[in-house]
Amino acid sequence: MEEILKEYFDLDVMRDTFPEVLAGFWFTIKLSVLAGILSLLWGLVLAVLRQTPGKLGAIIRWPTIAYIDIMRGLPQLIVILLVFGFFGELAESGLLPTEIAIPRWFGQPDPFWYGVVAITLTYGAYMAEVYRAGIEAVPKGQTEAARSLGMSYGQAMRFVVVPQAVRKVVPPLLNDFIALMKDTSLVSVIGLLEVVQVGRDVQQTDLNSSALMLGAIMFLVVTIPLARLLDYLIARQQRNEMRGGTGGDGPRPEQVSTGLAGV
Amino acid sequence: MVADGQTASGHEPTIGELQGAEDPSGTTLSLRGVHKSFGNLHVLAGVDLEVKRGTVTCVIGPSGSGKSTLLRCVNLLTPPDRGTIMIEGKEITQFKGDNLDYVRRRVGIVFQQFNLFPHMNALENVCLAQTKVLGRSESEAKEKAESLLRRVGMAEKLETHPDQLSGGQQQRVAIARALAMEPHLMLFDEVTSALDPELIKEVLDVMKELAAEGMTMVVVTHEMNFARDVADRVAFMDGGVVVEYGAPSEVLGNPREERTKQFLGLVLEH
Repeated sequence: MEEILKEYFDLDVMRDTFPEVLAGFWFTIKLSVLAGILSLLWGLVLAVLRQTPGKLGAIIRWPTIAYIDIMRGLPQLIVILLVFGFFGELAESGLLPTEIAIPRWFGQPDPFWYGVVAITLTYGAYMAEVYRAGIEAVPKGQTEAARSLGMSYGQAMRFVVVPQAVRKVVPPLLNDFIALMKDTSLVSVIGLLEVVQVGRDVQQTDLNSSALMLGAIMFLVVTIPLARLLDYLIARQQRNEMRGGTGGDGPRPEQVSTGLAGV
Repeated sequence: MVADGQTASGHEPTIGELQGAEDPSGTTLSLRGVHKSFGNLHVLAGVDLEVKRGTVTCVIGPSGSGKSTLLRCVNLLTPPDRGTIMIEGKEITQFKGDNLDYVRRRVGIVFQQFNLFPHMNALENVCLAQTKVLGRSESEAKEKAESLLRRVGMAEKLETHPDQLSGGQQQRVAIARALAMEPHLMLFDEVTSALDPELIKEVLDVMKELAAEGMTMVVVTHEMNFARDVADRVAFMDGGVVVEYGAPSEVLGNPREERTKQFLGLVLEH
């Protein structure tokens, strides 16, 4: 028992490695926030492209759907490794200037930026699906009302549908963000000294897992409050819907539009 | 056409004055042999209808007779399969893309489910399309919206969001929102059917006022009293065609067709 405690909760190791682990966790936070924001934006772009109407819209719609399917179907680890290899190739062949192929912007190492790109590519696709669900949850009557007032499809999306969809999707997006944050640890495979990598280094040199455990605790300090916040938001949304807070203009269950309703 | 809502003499124009100066025939809407199917369901099977400027036409008939689809065809929310629809003498049936503008600027619609924008208050609901579609300034749009909301009795609720309004209030805001675009023709699609009985009157009163001011209106409704009192013409639809058409005293008071009699018998029993 004591050995196990010493293996995982050696306070001396934890104290000694605390600054290093914290520095690693700071990478995790930066990476999560930046990739999170970019994924939110990229996801919204994808979701809107995916909804392009009409026959001609298929030219945009189909590649977008293909992209989303592929990215959702690939493990994050593979995407990270492929992005890493791809940029390495670009740098070597000279197709891209070194400042872009091996970015060191804002004093962050290049694996950090590869990580940002890879995670955004993947989570943008996840979040696009969340937005899509949100857009589809906005009653069809909203688009019709906007169109009947003379708004174009784009205006109806921008001023009427998307603002409502965004409200509905905050909880599931937060859920994706928590997953994204955990997936940042995968960027360690291309040499980013984030929290997990720091922990593993200590584990390998000292044969002790306490630094890794310390990293785990840091994760939980952030992710558990986020999970609580998520539950709170979901509960609040359900309360709102119970008292008819969707605006009262959503179709009643028996009147859900099938395109034939009320003919 | 009076584009800026002001006539040359500078007085507030009446609705009648605003409507279609460019169509000398006085016919705002005309439908000829309009067909629409959804899969195997032949919802409209050759509808003919004529609506004169400044008149109220009530469309009545059993559920599934095609009344709502007819309205949705008129502003091309549901494009018809065959037939011609003319608005102010111009055929619109094949209109797409930018041409939809012609239709949607002239035709306003109010829906059964109100379809107010829930993330905006009453004032913003009425302002949005004015600024985005007509290009009015914020202050112009706001002024127009306030005066319209006052007219429909919603002056006290300008800043209120739809979820804090009763169904009747929401529907009145929806009417103001459509009127803000200064349509030449207003379509009402069973606008009182989703309302509690005590709220129906306040919406019908607004519509009566509108009719009295000379607005051209097509009203799909189950309110037979409204049709009798307000309509200039009543069209009874069944099975996707207009079965009987005429003055309310004829169609409602002394119907010729067996199907009309049957329907009225069922409706008026209550």
